[in-house]
Amino acid sequence: MAWMEGYRDRVNADPEMAVIGGWFTAALSFTFGEQRYVVRVERGRIADINAAPRIDARATFGFRAPMAVWDRFVSPNPPALYHDFFAMLMRVPEFVLEGDGLAAMQNARALQRMMNLMRG
Amino acid sequence: MPKVEPIVGRYVEVKVAGAACRIFFEEAGQGMPLLCLHTAGADSRQWRHVLNDAEITRRFRVIAFDLPYHGRSTPPDRWWLSKYTLTTKLYLEIIRAFWKTLELERPVVMGCSMGGAIALKVAADYQEELTGIVGLESTAYAPGRYNDFLHHPAIHGGEFVASYTAGLNAPSSPEVAKRENWWVYSQGGPGVYAGDVHYYSFDWDAREDITRIDTRKCKVSLLTGEYDYSCTPAMTEAVAAAIPGCRMTFMKGMGHFPMVENYPVFRPFLLPELAYMAG
Repeated sequence: MAWMEGYRDRVNADPEMAVIGGWFTAALSFTFGEQRYVVRVERGRIADINAAPRIDARATFGFRAPMAVWDRFVSPNPPALYHDFFAMLMRVPEFVLEGDGLAAMQNARALQRMMNLMRG
Repeated sequence: MPKVEPIVGRYVEVKVAGAACRIFFEEAGQGMPLLCLHTAGADSRQWRHVLNDAEITRRFRVIAFDLPYHGRSTPPDRWWLSKYTLTTKLYLEIIRAFWKTLELERPVVMGCSMGGAIALKVAADYQEELTGIVGLESTAYAPGRYNDFLHHPAIHGGEFVASYTAGLNAPSSPEVAKRENWWVYSQGGPGVYAGDVHYYSFDWDAREDITRIDTRKCKVSLLTGEYDYSCTPAMTEAVAAAIPGCRMTFMKGMGHFPMVENYPVFRPFLLPELAYMAG
């Protein structure tokens, strides 16, 4: 949870998200191995992190992958194919987009920035 | 003193499939023609560093043109009555028509991504008339890039296509250069990147054609970046393995847009290949 809180702070302090995130309002699920979070994004800022989502925690879309995949993605010098979420969607079968792909791609620009901020 | 670049842009009428197309091209330098082909959904601006490189332009007449529908080239008449879909046949015809219209003699054809791909077909079909090809991020077969969201009424096509392609850059490439490429991509017309990628994903298969390339007639240099996940180094290696005498360079720390995303790092890879072409 400490990592997620640090991630939230990076996203919410990011000057680019402040420019491009105005229309980005959605609930995202991030599943790191067995651990799932539902993150509520409001106008490009992370408003809430639910570390124990129950049946009533709705998510618009999300990403799921084993920890080994996330570790490569968030490393400061990510290896090829793990360096971008679109790259992983094309070349890393264990990295899965769940939920409403249309909503995800409508927000592609801000979403890509937000994902890259995982690489703190 | 104003910083005026030596690049000159002009328009030329080119007949493609019986229709007159107004084609924009820019050029710089003198010598052996070096015809540069942009990537899917982009335009000739991608070649500005090559066009501005005095070491190249003192030996080569560097020419980069915008495909119809791209950049400052207009679509053919009645474009609004058909969906833009590029094909291998049409792409080859456009390149051929442009180079014959400009009367380029034994050019070197350099392309990137789908331009690097079609350069292989240009070499296979016109090797007697070329000096050679430089294929950047070249593959003979490239399924998997197309999706319906590339042209969709509920998605901002410019932002989506620019973001979809942004991850093709290497993470270590300078931010300002990656963002410039994003900007160029964001300006593509509706459905144009989708139409290009339709060709690249579904029509493009030159795995047989490349076996006809004779590098004694037409030199072949292939350069592919480590972080290119669309045309991976392994995909270019498969091409190189099918063309005896071809040169292949693996560019560590480079992505899918070497001439745009990190020209200072790309340049030392490119210059020896251009020297090989000119030699």
